[in-house]
Amino acid sequence: MLQPTATDLLVRMLGACELRARVVSANIANSNTPGYVRRVVRFEELLRRELLQGGDPARVLPQTSADLSAPARPDGNNVNLELELNAMRENRLLYESYSSILRSHFELLETAIASG
Amino acid sequence: MQGFDGFFTGMRISASGLTAERERMDVIAENLANARTTRTPEGGPYRRKVVIFEPLLQELEGEQRSVGVQSLPVQQDRATDFERVLDPGHPDAGPDGMVLYPNVNTVMEMADLITSMRAYEANLTAQENFVRMAERALELLR
Repeated sequence: MLQPTATDLLVRMLGACELRARVVSANIANSNTPGYVRRVVRFEELLRRELLQGGDPARVLPQTSADLSAPARPDGNNVNLELELNAMRENRLLYESYSSILRSHFELLETAIASG
Repeated sequence: MQGFDGFFTGMRISASGLTAERERMDVIAENLANARTTRTPEGGPYRRKVVIFEPLLQELEGEQRSVGVQSLPVQQDRATDFERVLDPGHPDAGPDGMVLYPNVNTVMEMADLITSMRAYEANLTAQENFVRMAERALELLR
């Protein structure tokens, strides 16, 4: 059945993907900036943890942080173009799957209204 | 989601990367073209030019966020010495018969050019990615 919380969650997951795409683009744009540290967006794992603990998923917000774990080049930059492009594709697949699920939710709603 | 602003912001981030990399490629091309220039208006041989990038920052929700990249005004490489070649017959040779050639290392410039080209392509891919995502979001409205 169509649950308002599920729709709300999906919209927020789409929003997190959009934010992540921007952060990955900024990493790519700065791939030749000395001293630049790549940034990452965490949302799905935070959401999963909150849901497992039985908490309120509405409280979870996407978090952007610097990723210091990646090895840096001599100029202090730790952006790896191949990894960023991969992150970008991964993120787009996620975005497409979330939007497909959201669309099927809307279709369910339409069916319910039409047969009601 | 706040409309399509997010996608447009993302496309502008990639556009800033494209601009910066193109500027760098222009300077590399100038360095390569002048790799053997011994005479300049300011006197002496051509001095290698260097492009410096810095993140374009914007204050958003109380924190500094990178919204792209920008290149600073082009600077000259004053740390690397000119190449000295013994050639007394050269019109620009000094009293000791040495000719000063630019401090441009063509192999290094070519390597930089390749890095720049790859980064340019990556920025282009990132920009196309936003278009695809926006198209996907549009489908939800159909």
